[in-house]
Amino acid sequence: MSELELRLDRLGRELDWPETPDLRDGVRRRLAAERRPREWRRPLMIALAALVVVVGALLAVPQSRSAILDFFGVGSVTIRSVDEYPELDLERGRQFYGLRLSLAEARRQAAFPIKVPQVDRLGEPQVYYLPDVQQVSLVYGDPEKPRLLISQIIGTGAIEKLVNSDQTDLELVRDGDAHGVWIEGPHVLHIPQLDEELRLVGDTLVMERADNVTVRVEADIPKDEALEIFHSMR
Amino acid sequence: MVGRPLTEAELVERAKRGDQDAYGDLVHAYQGIAFRTAYLLTGNAADAEEAAQSAFVKAFYALGRFRPGAELRPWLLRIVANEARNRRRSAGRRANLALRAVAAEPSGGAAPSPETSLLDAERDAALLEAVNGLRDEEREVVACRYFLELSEEETAQALGLRKGTVKSRLSRALARLREQMEDEDV
Repeated sequence: MSELELRLDRLGRELDWPETPDLRDGVRRRLAAERRPREWRRPLMIALAALVVVVGALLAVPQSRSAILDFFGVGSVTIRSVDEYPELDLERGRQFYGLRLSLAEARRQAAFPIKVPQVDRLGEPQVYYLPDVQQVSLVYGDPEKPRLLISQIIGTGAIEKLVNSDQTDLELVRDGDAHGVWIEGPHVLHIPQLDEELRLVGDTLVMERADNVTVRVEADIPKDEALEIFHSMR
Repeated sequence: MVGRPLTEAELVERAKRGDQDAYGDLVHAYQGIAFRTAYLLTGNAADAEEAAQSAFVKAFYALGRFRPGAELRPWLLRIVANEARNRRRSAGRRANLALRAVAAEPSGGAAPSPETSLLDAERDAALLEAVNGLRDEEREVVACRYFLELSEEETAQALGLRKGTVKSRLSRALARLREQMEDEDV
């Protein structure tokens, strides 16, 4: 250890910290006041559950396309090509949205503007906030099997999409100042900060807004409809 | 008859099942390091208390995702750090280290002269000021490593970084500090 490090080390032990408050009562009161959100399981892509153990198909894409896939990223989402999907355990690879909050409370807690689609037919979403990765999810329909899931997240490299292009197509898309990619076909979503968050998902629109917030629209809908929903978000 | 104290793993398992007393014991065990982490990132005690408390509430809800056998402390500190950064961003301010060093007790032998004590205090204050002058991302790594005494691995986990990133930021930060301290000749 260098002299500077020794000095920093010693300084650390001599710092005059404010007294630590006892947090137990406050935590207990808040836990009592909040209802524990359920951890929903979402059996996404049930038909593909047979792939749970290993999908071992080798990537067979032209070199140029492979190069694009290897380095492609949209905002917080990095898209990586993989020769084979990692092992998935559906029992652990459950969908966890985070804390159930009101939209107003989520807007207060998140460090970025949360936008909501202005499409009447969608109805009202349930709002969840995952503080670990600064992600807000709008869940439409039954949370165990939502008909539409919109996630908004800020930061870089927070989410990885693992794509085996034998089974999945990518298409670059734009909407005004926002740009992104339409992922058509099954792929694996991975949040490195949350090791358990490794799940198989279907068609997804991933867009980066001009304010650097990345929006994922997951639903069994055509690309144009996903773009319409994204476009309406205010 | 008094039973043996529960291990941390046992407390976690009980807390996962909703036992708030068990969780209270975990809060008690980690509230010191959690509060200090939040204090380093927010720069004031009130925000730090609020951030640490919110983080413990969120961690309780997230326990289902905590892997058995993993280290609880860095996992908790990552949630604390996220919460503290959110508060700092919301407040739109930079978190300076609102700390000062207190005079160390002599470890034995004669007490230092008033002149030596004064010089040490000046050197400590200058070093703290230099740490404060670092970029946020470098200052956080330095503070975690030396002021919170976290390992590189724990620092990486708490700040959501790769271990290599912690090493490189630390190396850059130490180089800057060394340069600055040499310039000031303290």
